[in-house]
Amino acid sequence: MLKSRYGIGAVLALGVLTGAAFAQDKPVAGEVKEGSLKGKTLTFVSYGGIYQDGQVAALKEFVDKSGVKLLNDGPTEIAKLQAQVESGNVTWDVVDTDDLPPYVYCGKLFQKLDLTKLDVSKIPEGQVGECSVPAMNYGVVLMYNKEKYKDNPPKSWADFFDTQKFPGVRGVDGSGSPTGGLLEQAFKYAGGDPKAMTVADIDKAIDVVRKLGPDTIFWKTGAESQQLAESGEADMLMMWTGRAMTAVKNGAKYAPAWQDWLVVMDQMTIPVGVKDTDAAYALLNAYLGKNAQEILTEKTSYTPINSEAQPKVDASVSAFLTNTPERQKQGYKQNFKFWVPNFAVAQEKWAALMAGN
Amino acid sequence: MSALEPTTPSAPQRARWAWRPYALTLPALLLLVTVIGYPLLTIVLRSLSEPQWGLQNYAWFFGAPVNLTVLQRTFTISAWVTVVCVLCAYPYAYLMTAVGPRVRLILVLCVLIPFWVSGVVRTLSWVILLQDSGVINSLLRSAGFDGVRLIRTQTGVVIGMAQVLLPFMILPLYSVMKGIDLRLVQAARSLGARPSRAFFTVYLPLSLPGVYAGAIIVFILALGFYITPALLGGPRSTMLSTLVQTQVLSLLQWGRGGAMGVVLLVATFVLLALAAPVMRSRHREAGRR
Repeated sequence: MLKSRYGIGAVLALGVLTGAAFAQDKPVAGEVKEGSLKGKTLTFVSYGGIYQDGQVAALKEFVDKSGVKLLNDGPTEIAKLQAQVESGNVTWDVVDTDDLPPYVYCGKLFQKLDLTKLDVSKIPEGQVGECSVPAMNYGVVLMYNKEKYKDNPPKSWADFFDTQKFPGVRGVDGSGSPTGGLLEQAFKYAGGDPKAMTVADIDKAIDVVRKLGPDTIFWKTGAESQQLAESGEADMLMMWTGRAMTAVKNGAKYAPAWQDWLVVMDQMTIPVGVKDTDAAYALLNAYLGKNAQEILTEKTSYTPINSEAQPKVDASVSAFLTNTPERQKQGYKQNFKFWVPNFAVAQEKWAALMAGN
Repeated sequence: MSALEPTTPSAPQRARWAWRPYALTLPALLLLVTVIGYPLLTIVLRSLSEPQWGLQNYAWFFGAPVNLTVLQRTFTISAWVTVVCVLCAYPYAYLMTAVGPRVRLILVLCVLIPFWVSGVVRTLSWVILLQDSGVINSLLRSAGFDGVRLIRTQTGVVIGMAQVLLPFMILPLYSVMKGIDLRLVQAARSLGARPSRAFFTVYLPLSLPGVYAGAIIVFILALGFYITPALLGGPRSTMLSTLVQTQVLSLLQWGRGGAMGVVLLVATFVLLALAAPVMRSRHREAGRR
């Protein structure tokens, strides 16, 4: 009797122990073992400015605890990464990218992620890719000049494209790659169904943007879009939420039309051929943590990608966070399946528009 | 035999030392070969070898109308910039030769100080001046005129580029003008030439080498401009460098980017080869007179 009790106890104890060991193997977002990366160096690459500063602040706990030496580089350029991968000398360990590249170059430039090494349970649904986890969320939102449109403000992208009903200068993201969501909205305006878009339809969508007229401003940088709002040069602007927030904070008399705001995100990736994959995973996993994401949002005003994060931000910032239930309902997600294989074609056609053709 | 003779080397001696000037250019040659020659070779090779060996990248370049439009536009904008630079720099450089040393110093500083400020900063200050709600348009409006669209137009790009490139025109012009003997103009005047005639038949031809030198430098630099058209221009003033950037950095089409670079380089050579005889004949004429 006694023996068997001991036996059960032993089995239980063993069970608890193996359970604990198992739990230790299973990563928890935001956690890293004390001193586990001592003497190691990681190079983190992102887009600089307050964004990368915020990311580094978010990673401070990870750096302090793990003992890793964190180096920063940037801005992210896929061409540079390609050169590193081709030459077999990859010095970028963790890279923050736009939303499409990890899908387009998955397995070629970016490693397929082993999800047993990451805790992705708190990431909003549908955002974990084969080669990426999100770095943060934000949106592309239609901002309009309150003084110009007064009682009859534009309410959707359809109004943005309708220069008859809503005259005025438009500002469009001309910073490089086309925004898939915007082209889908343009195609919808032209009478098409974005869910059934074909390659030939890209031309139709771009035509809608072209028809906005010669006055249209294609802004090259986020700062320029902000400046356009603050100086009142454009009447309707397609803007990144972070920039829209700052412009309004600085006194721009603009308001957002949230219907069908375009969901976009930055991605965190590990390039093919990094020297210490496990260290890179440890950084990613720490970055996904609740604390890290709260710090990121407080420093940058971008929306956190950990659903438990409760950043302390003031009203002007929270007005532009995109993770509230209401915003989630209004958001428009681009058709990834269509854009990934057609990225190059769309880019080419968009570049022609950008070159005045 | 004069006392000076030993210092002039004899023929064999001269031959022995003849390599010396070449040796002195060695650092420059080395630099050119490594930082220009090698990358250039890579560009040419990649334009022919990616994605496979052949002329596909060139076929693509000449097959897409947008590339040809932009190529032509690149040359047009550069030509305008050169014209604006000549018109602005000529009187300025002349003034530099005509004034006393103290004023000249101020004039030189006026040319050089903006030269020391980063091109990006200068271009951004042009944004502030040229934008629709900017300084120039506010002044125009407060004076009762309609505003003019300057930013995101070719005019704006030409203005901005001309300002950035002006020193490259003024300095060679000045160095040539400074060597012109002004007594020749006086002589012409004393022989009864009107001031305009003295200028056009005596001074201008003598200063032409400076104009050509400056124009070539400005034109060639203008062809490769990237930041100014990107910041001051709109889609209709996109230059070739922007398209190269899109191909290489956004699309990873290094071969196409390379082909565009090679086309621009060859087109520039062709243009210079066409311009060379004109410059040479004028030059000789001026020398003969």
